[in-house]
Amino acid sequence: MDVLDDPIAAARTGAALLEVEDLRVGFAAGGRDVRAVNGVSFRVSPGRTLAIIGESGSGKTVSCRAVMGLLPAGTVVTGSARLRGAELIGLSDSQLRKHRGADMAMVFQDPARSLNPTMRVGAQVAEAVRAHRAVSRSQAREEAVELLRLVRIPLPDRRYHEYPHQLSGGMRQRVMIAMALACRPRLLIADEATTALDVTTQAQIMELLLDLQAELNMALIMISHDLGLAASYADDVVVMYAGKIVEQAPARRLFGTRGAVRMRYTRALLDAIPRLDRPAHTILPVVGGRPPDPAALPPGCPFAPRCPVTADDCLTTEPELAEHVEGHRWACWHPCQNGDTP
Amino acid sequence: MALAQQVQLQGGNGGPRDRAGRLAGSPALRLVGRRLLAALVVLWGVTFLTFAVMSALPNDTAQVLLGLHATPGQVTALNKALGLNRPFPVRYWHWLVGVLHGNLGTDLEGASVNSQLAQHLPATAELLAYALAGSLLLAVIVAVLAARQPNGLADRLSLAVSMLGLSAAPYAFAIFLIVVFAVKLGWFPVQSNSLGSGSVLSFLQQGTLPAASLGFPLFAIYTRLLRADLVEQLQREDYIVTAKAKGLAPWQVLIRHALRNSMFSLITVVGLNMGTLIGAAAIIEALFSVPGIGSELLTAIGDKDVPLIEGIVLVFALVTVLANLAADLMYAVLDPRIRYGRSTS
Amino acid sequence: MAAPRPEAALPGPGLLAPGPPLLPSAGVSPRRLASQRLGRALRLWVPAGIVVLILATCFLLPLVTRMPSPTNGNILDAGDPPFSPGHWLGTDPVGVDVFSQLVYGGQVAFEVGLAVTAIGVVVGGLLGITAGYFGGWVDALLSRVVDILIAFPALVLALAIAEGLGPSEVHVIWALSVFSIPAFGRLSRGATLVVRDLEFMVAARLAGTRGWRVIARHVLPNILPGLVTFSLLGIGIVIILEGALDYLGYGIPPPTASWGAMIANGQTVLTAQPEYVLIPSVVLVVVVAALNMLGDALRERWGVR
Repeated sequence: MDVLDDPIAAARTGAALLEVEDLRVGFAAGGRDVRAVNGVSFRVSPGRTLAIIGESGSGKTVSCRAVMGLLPAGTVVTGSARLRGAELIGLSDSQLRKHRGADMAMVFQDPARSLNPTMRVGAQVAEAVRAHRAVSRSQAREEAVELLRLVRIPLPDRRYHEYPHQLSGGMRQRVMIAMALACRPRLLIADEATTALDVTTQAQIMELLLDLQAELNMALIMISHDLGLAASYADDVVVMYAGKIVEQAPARRLFGTRGAVRMRYTRALLDAIPRLDRPAHTILPVVGGRPPDPAALPPGCPFAPRCPVTADDCLTTEPELAEHVEGHRWACWHPCQNGDTP
Repeated sequence: MALAQQVQLQGGNGGPRDRAGRLAGSPALRLVGRRLLAALVVLWGVTFLTFAVMSALPNDTAQVLLGLHATPGQVTALNKALGLNRPFPVRYWHWLVGVLHGNLGTDLEGASVNSQLAQHLPATAELLAYALAGSLLLAVIVAVLAARQPNGLADRLSLAVSMLGLSAAPYAFAIFLIVVFAVKLGWFPVQSNSLGSGSVLSFLQQGTLPAASLGFPLFAIYTRLLRADLVEQLQREDYIVTAKAKGLAPWQVLIRHALRNSMFSLITVVGLNMGTLIGAAAIIEALFSVPGIGSELLTAIGDKDVPLIEGIVLVFALVTVLANLAADLMYAVLDPRIRYGRSTS
Repeated sequence: MAAPRPEAALPGPGLLAPGPPLLPSAGVSPRRLASQRLGRALRLWVPAGIVVLILATCFLLPLVTRMPSPTNGNILDAGDPPFSPGHWLGTDPVGVDVFSQLVYGGQVAFEVGLAVTAIGVVVGGLLGITAGYFGGWVDALLSRVVDILIAFPALVLALAIAEGLGPSEVHVIWALSVFSIPAFGRLSRGATLVVRDLEFMVAARLAGTRGWRVIARHVLPNILPGLVTFSLLGIGIVIILEGALDYLGYGIPPPTASWGAMIANGQTVLTAQPEYVLIPSVVLVVVVAALNMLGDALRERWGVR
């Protein structure tokens, strides 16, 4: 049996399902070179959940779409992304298609727009089943109903015949998950999968995802801008800014011990979360300014213009992502000290 | 999309679970009802307008019938006998009543307008059907090929050909077709006078050139529209990304997902174009000697055969209004958001 | 506890460098971009140039040079080939100069085309904007009127008028306006509806700006690009329709020159001398195609859907 099928063995031997190394993505827009992702490396193992956190435009979605091969034509992708040892970057679309939906699957943000409005949901799930396996129509139909049941949609054989607009947001997202699971992928990427949902539904969907992960022994990547989500559900966390990883650590280390966060950006994100134990009417410490233009990245640390403790070296030289403490990497010249108070 | 938005704004609710009940309360049916009413108003308006225009123009029907040597006295007498000197509202009322009873009167030659129409309608119907079906089919094929690779060879070719189709006058194109394919190559006959009766083979033989003349500009419009819509869907819509993420091949994504959704705008355009299509058909029929109601109309106008003209225009208007209505309805039927509304879940 | 400085691996960027140049030049090279821009410019200016050239030829040339009559010909000169002295494109079977007919026919075509389109834009536009902006029963009423006009076969009207009142250029313009008014009406109504519900419009209404001012200030500028591009297409369509009327003999009365009449006349000698049909047909196609392409290029540039 593949060592990757046993999460404990995998953790012991350090075998990762997905290994991304120095991923870079760029494309031309309006005559300018946009560098969306600038050297990203991470790994995920089966049974583990990796959260990729960042603002809009940080490159988190682009990185994962690059791995899946879902970027528009004309995008340049370099670096390496190995799924169970098979290199994905550089494959032609028809080769990559064999993995897409089969080994690795993705769930998207807005199920209202991500499902075909004129096709019944059951048919869309069945289509996912037949995409990679030579299965008869009736068999695909049965499997689709089973998948709908798996994602806890009540009365799945009824729901099979309905259209997306007839379902609630949470149900639609379950359908998306069912489609993603059709061929039992090893890797599931949830791209802001719960952002468009209300909080209660959000929790339900996250629970579902985690249960399914355990049941199917999948590696799960969750992309989000919500630190709270990462804290609650992720095993490892990667924080991205301006196309690079700026902090990387197990979730427990980052969010558990107060002050374990080193990178100023992550610190700022944490501080911006409203808290009940602060006195009433305290002004929320929001990070001012905006992320840099990916077509005109400044020299030095990309966060420097917005950082509270910018120094000269921050403006001239870009800090490298290095493992300063075991299991915890960050890229900052003047990180928060352990136990630093804002 | 306007229809879908309209319905959702009215909060179309699914109604009771039972399917018939759901249909009765469905927004689709209410929409259909409203559209039908509007169509009736339009139909009435067109007939009234036709009648008004015909009456407003100097009308010497009696003179024509009696010939050049008739005395003014004879003309007046005939006018009175034909009822042509009664006031406008009276004449209109009589005509309207007749129409509602299905009687369109008699033309100047004494034949019943109804029978004239019945005789000539099949040819026009065949011609229109051939032109529409052919241009739609070709348009879908070409648009799909073009959208597969935007700015590729198929795309550029299709754009060039469509531009030609849009810019060429149907009558000029028809003449060109006749010269090349009928006269020089002899593949098709020059005249198509047995369209509307006759075998499938003769239909194909005689119908192809006239249908091509009519269909070329149609094909151009449909192709341009469909291609633009397909490319837009492929580039902007999220569900396309989902389809790709499933691992579907580009053709499957294009046909099973994008094309499905693009058909909507295409259908509306087909309906809207019916009015101009019929007008163009008249000229083509004259060119190819097709015995349809279009060429009948031209002769009727030349003869100043007012009853016949009114009858034919009524048919034209009816077809246009029905086509528009049909397009609207098909939209409602095909778009599941309108057909089913929101269910309580 | 400062973090270690990055000695190796990354080449230290200079003070003003835009970022580590490790990514190969992405997507579109500057050369390709330049050629794209050139293509866009060509698609706009070439058709525009053709249209201007033809307009100038039709309207300005007769003012500058003496042209042979487009209506009367010397039968003895009949059938002269192109480049004969005094006849640039030769003469037709009855001796009338071909080039002259093209020029004066072009005058008619453009006069009718521009007039009908202008009427359509003004009247139809007004109707459409009113219907779209005010909605309610105003919209219902105006929309029905427009629907009636559209369902009415304009060709028939044109023929009927020509038959009843005698053919003339003005009659043709009236008749074709029945077609262009509702076409622009529907277009401007649709565009107004889209603009009306945009957020800034709602804001303007809430702020109290009323009716006509809103329309003039906000609605018009937003629907204008769509109207202009549609107008170009419309002029082309009207030219074709006008040609059809002339072809049937119900448009401009002979012997006044018109492209449609040229085609009809040329049909009589079609097999022997196809050029008499070919020349006006080709000119028609070129003119309409140029108008269409210009409309397309403008639509591309202005981002109209």
